[in-house]
Amino acid sequence: MAEPRAKPPSSTSPWAWLRVLFAVLALSVFAFPGGMVDWLDERNASGWLSAPLAFARGVDAASAAVGVKGAGEALRRWFAAAIGDADA
Amino acid sequence: MLFPTIDFGLFFAFSFLLVWGLNPHNTAKKLVLLALSLAFYASWNWRFTLLLLASGAISYLVGLYVDASAQRPFRRVALGLGVALDLAILGYFKYLDFFIAQALNLAHMFGLDLPLGFVNVTLPVAISFLTFHAISYVVDVYRGRLAASRSPLDVVLYVSFFPHLVAGPIVRAHEFLPQLASPRRAGDFSFGENMLLILGGLFKKMVIANYLAVRFVDPVFTDPSQFSRFDLIMAVYAYAIQIYADFSAYTDIAIGVAALLGYRFPQNFNQPYRALGIGDFWRRWHMTLSRWLRDYLYIPLGGNRYGALATARNLMLTMVLGGLWHGANWTFLIWGALHGSALVVDHAWRRSAAFARWGQGPVARVVDWALTFNFVCLAWLFFRAPSLDAVGQFLSGVWTDNGAASTMPAVVLPLIACGALTQIAPARARAAIGVVLDNRGALAQAAFGFVLLYAIVVMAPAASAPFIYFQF
Repeated sequence: MAEPRAKPPSSTSPWAWLRVLFAVLALSVFAFPGGMVDWLDERNASGWLSAPLAFARGVDAASAAVGVKGAGEALRRWFAAAIGDADA
Repeated sequence: MLFPTIDFGLFFAFSFLLVWGLNPHNTAKKLVLLALSLAFYASWNWRFTLLLLASGAISYLVGLYVDASAQRPFRRVALGLGVALDLAILGYFKYLDFFIAQALNLAHMFGLDLPLGFVNVTLPVAISFLTFHAISYVVDVYRGRLAASRSPLDVVLYVSFFPHLVAGPIVRAHEFLPQLASPRRAGDFSFGENMLLILGGLFKKMVIANYLAVRFVDPVFTDPSQFSRFDLIMAVYAYAIQIYADFSAYTDIAIGVAALLGYRFPQNFNQPYRALGIGDFWRRWHMTLSRWLRDYLYIPLGGNRYGALATARNLMLTMVLGGLWHGANWTFLIWGALHGSALVVDHAWRRSAAFARWGQGPVARVVDWALTFNFVCLAWLFFRAPSLDAVGQFLSGVWTDNGAASTMPAVVLPLIACGALTQIAPARARAAIGVVLDNRGALAQAAFGFVLLYAIVVMAPAASAPFIYFQF
């Protein structure tokens, strides 16, 4: 009888899952930083989110500097135009 | 705090850390899960968290009394009171104004002036799902399918667990409570498959459902008189795809999120538009509601045990009440009655000699599918329209054409095709891709997840429509 195949660590450890989830979230924020900046800005009326907002703005600037933010926005505009979505 | 939002993304990341961090300490983990669930619910209206706690407390106490092993007197009466209390809460918040309006209309017809006023109460989010979970617990305990929990924490967490709280799936007590007994093992779940489930849900909601709603379905149903016959008919088909993409997306994400926290939920959709017959449709559409209605309403009413007439009556009652569960409106009641009637016919047809003789060839199956799908779409018209007058206006437009040219956006057909693809894709494809992902390293998994999420964000429209089942 064949030995049951051991599952690789990535599928059995929640901490491996966590690394992947946080990596996906972080990459998404870097690719589309505007959403996070707006989200923090809307909730910062009393100023208690100033530090994370400053960090998000830093990410936004870095993303724009390397062209990632611009590429994402351009792709969204291109897709919206391709399907005739004037509101996007 | 709905699933496809930054709020929920951050909330989930935080929850994930806490829950797995506390996994070896089961009670502490459950306390944290309850606190997270209450915080999730409080994001709409914190006052209603008291309702959540009260519902859990009632279920716990009634469960202790009606436990099948306890042999106490008046168990059935206690069960009846517990269920009546759950239904009274639902009735007060969801149906009281509807019934007052009907009573006032009736009195007006007879020239009477009833001293009744509307209560105008805010409808708590997810009140219907909350009621179903609470009833499931006490009835399962009464039937001996589950021992009454000695832990009030477990019962309150069962009714309020945040992944299923807002729009299901409806997880029956005997499916969930045993999972709270011991710490969870991540190895029991496929990370790859559940990541795909969540990303697939985001695609269905943010791309398919949102585009169909915003670009076509909502404008058509807002003023059907401005649209051509072709557009009106296509809007009904588009709504069929939209509601599937929207609702199945929510429950897919709920199932995936629960699994990543270590809890298994039942499947809620199984390619429903492939159904051959209305009975088959209800075994594939909102499967957890169908099973709930069967176990806690249709079978207690007598099911199919007392002859054809009683079976037909029970099917009709179950579906009419199932329709009314969706909302206090005649349109939902008629939607339920349409499905009830179709189930009665379907039930009789599949037991007939004619079906045995002619009903199972390839041509008959194609006809069966086409009739089922088009009937379901027609019934969706009643489900989507805000009132019976709007249904009349819609059907009148289909009859007269309104003298309008078609303005259906070109994107609608590809989106409908995309929705159709989800109905014919091999059912095991996701699990197979999940296994492949599980066998790759974290880098490949992160790259795969990011590319899919990036594509979804690129394709999603700027405007979005609320989840349809959020209102129930």
